[in-house]
Amino acid sequence: MPSIDPITRDLWQVIAATDEVPVGLVEITTLLDVRLALTRDNDGNPVVWRRTDEEQGDEIDPETVLDRLPVITGYGYIWTSLGTPPKELFPIPEYAEADRKNMSCGSIGLAVSAPRAVENFLDMGHFPYVHTDILGAEPHTEVKEYDVEVSEERDEVLATRCKFIQPRAAKSATEAMEVEYVYRVPHPFCSVLYKSCPEDENRRDVIAIFLQPMTEERCRAHLLQSMIDSTSTITDLRRFQQTIFGQDKPILENQYPKRLPLDPRAETPIRADKSAIAYRRWLSQKGITYGVIPMAS
Amino acid sequence: MTLSLSDPTWYPIASSDDLPFRHVYQGQLLGRELAVWRADDGNVNVWENRCLHRGVRLSIGINEGGELKCQYHGWRYANRSAGCTYIPAHPADAPARRIQNRTYPVREAYGLIWSAANDEQAFRPFAGAEGHDWFALRPMPVNAAPEDVLAALAGLAPDDQPADLLPGLAVRFGGTWYFVQPVDAGRAVIRGLLREQPADAVATLRHYNETLSKLRDRLERAAARKPAPEPLQPTFEKLSADLATMPDIAIPRGNTITVVVRRKWTSADGVIGFELAARNGHLPTFQPGAHIDLHLPNGMTRQYSITNGPGELMSYIIGVKQESASKGGSKVLVETVREGDLLSISEPRNNFPLRRDAVRTVLIAGGIGITPLLSMARFLDKSALPYELHYFTRAGEQVAFRGDLEALHGKVILHTGLPRAEIGTTIASALGQWSMAQHVYVCGPGPMLETVRDTATAQGWPEESIHFEYFRNDKVIDNSSAFDVELARSAMTLHVPSGKTIMEVMRDAGLTVPSSCEQGACGTCLTTVIEGEVDHQDVYLNRSEKASNTCMMTCVSRAKSARLVLDI
Amino acid sequence: MTITLYDFELSGNCYKLRLLMSILKLRYNIVPVDFYPDRQHKADWFLRLNPFGQLPVLKDDDLILSDSGAILAYLAKKYDESGQWFPNDPAVTAEVLRWHAVADDITSTASAARLALGFFYDFDIEKAQKGAHRIFRLMDEHLWFGEREGRDWLCSPDHPTTADIACFPYVMLSEEGGISRQDYPALRRWTDRVRRIPGFMVMSGIFPAGRAAEES
Repeated sequence: MPSIDPITRDLWQVIAATDEVPVGLVEITTLLDVRLALTRDNDGNPVVWRRTDEEQGDEIDPETVLDRLPVITGYGYIWTSLGTPPKELFPIPEYAEADRKNMSCGSIGLAVSAPRAVENFLDMGHFPYVHTDILGAEPHTEVKEYDVEVSEERDEVLATRCKFIQPRAAKSATEAMEVEYVYRVPHPFCSVLYKSCPEDENRRDVIAIFLQPMTEERCRAHLLQSMIDSTSTITDLRRFQQTIFGQDKPILENQYPKRLPLDPRAETPIRADKSAIAYRRWLSQKGITYGVIPMAS
Repeated sequence: MTLSLSDPTWYPIASSDDLPFRHVYQGQLLGRELAVWRADDGNVNVWENRCLHRGVRLSIGINEGGELKCQYHGWRYANRSAGCTYIPAHPADAPARRIQNRTYPVREAYGLIWSAANDEQAFRPFAGAEGHDWFALRPMPVNAAPEDVLAALAGLAPDDQPADLLPGLAVRFGGTWYFVQPVDAGRAVIRGLLREQPADAVATLRHYNETLSKLRDRLERAAARKPAPEPLQPTFEKLSADLATMPDIAIPRGNTITVVVRRKWTSADGVIGFELAARNGHLPTFQPGAHIDLHLPNGMTRQYSITNGPGELMSYIIGVKQESASKGGSKVLVETVREGDLLSISEPRNNFPLRRDAVRTVLIAGGIGITPLLSMARFLDKSALPYELHYFTRAGEQVAFRGDLEALHGKVILHTGLPRAEIGTTIASALGQWSMAQHVYVCGPGPMLETVRDTATAQGWPEESIHFEYFRNDKVIDNSSAFDVELARSAMTLHVPSGKTIMEVMRDAGLTVPSSCEQGACGTCLTTVIEGEVDHQDVYLNRSEKASNTCMMTCVSRAKSARLVLDI
Repeated sequence: MTITLYDFELSGNCYKLRLLMSILKLRYNIVPVDFYPDRQHKADWFLRLNPFGQLPVLKDDDLILSDSGAILAYLAKKYDESGQWFPNDPAVTAEVLRWHAVADDITSTASAARLALGFFYDFDIEKAQKGAHRIFRLMDEHLWFGEREGRDWLCSPDHPTTADIACFPYVMLSEEGGISRQDYPALRRWTDRVRRIPGFMVMSGIFPAGRAAEES
């Protein structure tokens, strides 16, 4: 079993959408090569523990589980940790705004490392080729200059002024228009995207991806949308996000190596990849080794 | 026998029939995955199955005929060289020419595609290969160790025809040859060849297919009883250090290449075509709009645009104007260079990059200016992008590359013998009003460039949508500054006074400095800058290259800082 | 006529119908069904449409149909004026139905592996993958000999039929179930041909093929 670096071990890691875990029934999942079991007690509170080989069956009285892992809920998801996690999760303040439609969009398995999936989430250059006619379309392929910083104070990667021409940025749009994105990477395996909102030009829709690193080369993507949309149904909004994610999946699963290489000489960056480069450097500086190919020392 | 990643043996990796028009075949040899594709010119490419940008398999990409397009970000890689020709995220920039995917040696012979893990060994036909009309069987993938597959194949030999084990995991008996392609430690493909074409091809194929299927099932049952061998662990080679840094600047290393004049012909009245071929292998990757420096026998250097289409790297085709007034340059080429002569050229350099992100591309050529635009039209053509090519000549006999123009599928409009005033109105209506993502490219005589520029501007075309190439620098050079240059390799510091160029000062100090146009247009004197801030005055470097402050033209450019350190 | 498709974007079986309707240029409405994570195909309102609790369901005016293969046959027989997609000839009909059955086998193997790995269904992954490889081997052989005999498609006519539509999606999506198609070159070439059928449309997980030839 690969060793888990201390940074990764002490992080909160997402494992399931809270509503999708039935009360009293046991769900099995894998986190950092460790088999976990989870359920919810009669009050709806999640209980998470290491699944042993002796345990059988899919029903349990949560009261009997003594050796529990730490648990926190946030953004509609259950998070746990194999080490000593911080007091709180990273903030997404918009989630609490009363008029937003917050929803999970499914937890989907990916045959690639979690950091590869984060990097794809940060990438705009693939829109015309992978999300054709939705998030981009040839011939509009240019990735214009944007800004990237690693915020010391918040310990996160931040990309701003990210602009891209999209064929159908809004349902009402008939022509291609330029949309603006802000990307945050507040957690080594999570990213949050802010996108101009068609309904209210002063606010932004929030789409987040939380990756559950199951093994070094396999992860589970948990998708969150926090939208300002008074007309679409949850099913419509989910369908849109799943369509996008379903398009990324075959690309991610055809990437080699599956772990993210941190050596700058492993792949060929271009200016459009500034955020990915900042992300790789940030992982490297933090000392993350799980799911990546660290730089040879 | 254990398989080795560095085994230099040539193995068959596909059948010729596996590579139909515009397909990308997914293969594997000794653990390494391969993207195999046939270009429209028939050439077979065997590449590492991985885009250098983000590691995505190229076998899910698109074969565009002369280039392979990665499915993830649309990067294009040229037939033969695997050099990157276009990065859509930065459509206005020419990608660094040295972005090049890993390629493997390839040979198509006897109905099979052959390759090897490295090029330590030249391809040699197997013994007895020559003189027969070989017939390839249906390949049979087997999940078993290659050596076990070989042994089982040998066991198929009838008693009266003992199996003859051949080098390179091959066996023959009677008129049948079997080659075992070592896919990985526990996987193989049986590729059979018959020495004669059978009378009933399909019946024969079915017969052998049945035999080999049974063999496969037997082998796989046996393999399932053994522990699976550990797969080979190929590593991905690292990139060169300069590709790992972000700026994608193409600075030529000044390498020269010797080419042979394969063909010289009169392409039109006053235009001579030259086909310059590589002496072995292929020429370097180029992008549409690129030119080469041609070093002439009389010591002069002249620039000529490459007219080729995507992935055409076996030779460069240029057009040379047969100017009667020419003082030496093209005259030498036209009058003294003959077919079979050797010439020296530079690596291609692109000062006139073609964006492929336009909804409409207008190409305007005047006379010999057709050459870079022909190349652009060919690239747009292969990608089915919309374009209009307007070609102005004084007379119909002066239309060069006529056959090549006729082979294009886009809109090609010839304008012959128009009076000056009419040229203006024709250009105006060819351009039309500008709207988003329209670009115009013009190459031709000075007055035509100006007409296009002025007309386009008047019709709302923004500056960044009008593209033209300078073969001349018309800017007024400001040579008023004075500064020091430190020549790092020559261990020499020189003072450049106002009124003199860096080049002149270096020459005065006894240095030999290559130059050609001496007006900041041709790129011959390109020099690497180690330290100091450059005052660029040339028209050769593009904006990002200038901004990088890592290179300069010593014939016109100067220093903003008090001191410059150059790599000379 | 008003056609309504009860649809889940990531379902290959739903995609079969979107694909044929796109090729036949039929207009239709979509009612999205949240198959995952909400399992709406087991909700009461959906079970009233299809008691088997399976997508897709198609409504043509008042007629309610389920099972992708059955609906493909219905759409072709009713709306394909060329008569090519589900030919009337008895022998060809049998051929097409034979491959519709193979399509169901592909669903129970390749699609099951994809559901297990991507959507965490409790299926036997290894068994599903092995089953898919067995079918793909047979398809590759069938298509390879087809190429030798001048047959481009699964059935004998010189044009595609609903058999090709029925088998295509879960072949293309097999890698999501950990099933590589590297060993099936003829199958890969056939997927190029299907993707070049005029009117072809993609679904998430399937990319278009490049152009087959120069067009003027």
